Amino acid sequence: MPDLPISIAANAPWLSAHIEHHFQRDRAGFTLHLDFTASAQRTVVFGPSGSGKSSLLRAIAGLLQPDVASIQLHGTVVCQNMRGRQQRFFLAPEKRRVGLVMQNPAVFPHLTAARNVAFALHGTEKSAQKEKTIRLLQLVEADTLADRWPRELSGGQLQRVAIARTLAAEPSVLLLDEPFAALDAQSRQTISQNVHAWARERQVPVLTVTHNLEEAFAAGEEVLTMEEGRILAQGTPEQVLFEQREQLLQMLHATPSPGSVDNLRGK
Amino acid sequence: MDTVALLLTLRLALVTTAILLVLAVPLAYWLAFTRSRWKTLIQAVCSLPIVLPPTVLGFYLLVGLGPSTAFGRAITHVLGHPLAFSFAGLVVGSVLYSLPFAVQPLTSGFAAVDRSLLDAATTLGSGRWDRMARVVLPLSRGSLLTAGVLSFAHTVGEFGVVLMIGGNLPGATRTLSIALYDQVQDFQYAQANRTALFLLAICLLALMFLYSRGQRRDSRSSDLA
Repeated sequence: MPDLPISIAANAPWLSAHIEHHFQRDRAGFTLHLDFTASAQRTVVFGPSGSGKSSLLRAIAGLLQPDVASIQLHGTVVCQNMRGRQQRFFLAPEKRRVGLVMQNPAVFPHLTAARNVAFALHGTEKSAQKEKTIRLLQLVEADTLADRWPRELSGGQLQRVAIARTLAAEPSVLLLDEPFAALDAQSRQTISQNVHAWARERQVPVLTVTHNLEEAFAAGEEVLTMEEGRILAQGTPEQVLFEQREQLLQMLHATPSPGSVDNLRGK
Repeated sequence: MDTVALLLTLRLALVTTAILLVLAVPLAYWLAFTRSRWKTLIQAVCSLPIVLPPTVLGFYLLVGLGPSTAFGRAITHVLGHPLAFSFAGLVVGSVLYSLPFAVQPLTSGFAAVDRSLLDAATTLGSGRWDRMARVVLPLSRGSLLTAGVLSFAHTVGEFGVVLMIGGNLPGATRTLSIALYDQVQDFQYAQANRTALFLLAICLLALMFLYSRGQRRDSRSSDLA
């Protein structure tokens, strides 16, 4: 652990992030430049595709090492790499206890659904592993798929397995990157509720990334809107919706998402 | 056929393949995922035996392991005999000579593993070597087999390195390919033909085995499409 000051107060932010990163290869001239804190149990990051939302999650999880960064999780520094400062620190992603469900479910093709979920339980007692695996598969309504191989599962089923697998690792922070996109409307609602109940019970904060406006403003206690690698606004859904109405409408026109515009106008 | 030479050849090929797999797996893993600037150099060194005359490798091994270097003297002191002109010396030479045939299939197999699977494993708390054992290796079983079969077949077929470093001692360093050479020198063409046919068959079968696996995989993926 770093010998940097650790402070935990009653309403302290669980995430404090300053991230600057320039992408050269993948997207010409794209720069991510963010500075924000999050303290709500449920935070939603909303923005069009390509606005840098996934990169933000990858930086928090440690899969992306930003050019300049200072990231704290629950008051503990996990990445410190600021200009002109001597002390540099990067906590390996496997030690961060950050649960990340990616858009691509990345279910291990050489393991059954149940073994995928049990991946993070390696080394614990077999019967406890089995019990926990079944419980988590039930939570995502996929317990009947336990013995199936990934190649036999649909996109939505794979996403369920990926969610259960992430929860099994007992993360201290949960990052969801469009995790329910491949699910039908009804299971989306049920599974989303189950996952959030799971997180609330354990006081695990959830940061969800979406480009679906309806989802963003219905689900979060706090909303951040992003565009072109920057944060446009942050606040309660009502605040952001009120202040950013024009920009949000423009954003939607830039990346059409059927139905969402009408929903916004209706509100 | 010279059964002593045959058994020696098989023993050499098996020992070499086993050592190569143990050495090549971590080396290939490093090559597949590193961003080090040394990568190009190490890659080139590992592939050298493909283009280098085997006699060059044999010559340097002979000199390096002989009494003229401190390393060679130290080994002689530990083993009680020089490494050159012994089975152990042959193993060292074979391992170096067949290294690219193990490293290359493994490196490309490891590099082909979907990065998002490795990212997922990482966020699940799996460290570098754990990821290798539980994600990369199980997904590279085909490459492991290819590396093993190619190393075996290539060791069975080597000649120059063996001749340089092993000499021609029956039961210790006289492999089939050397026996064949001797048989031709003695004008024993019938015997030479049997030895040659046997070597040809081993190598052909090894390659057919690998290609048949590749074909089965291709037809399976076209079924899915």
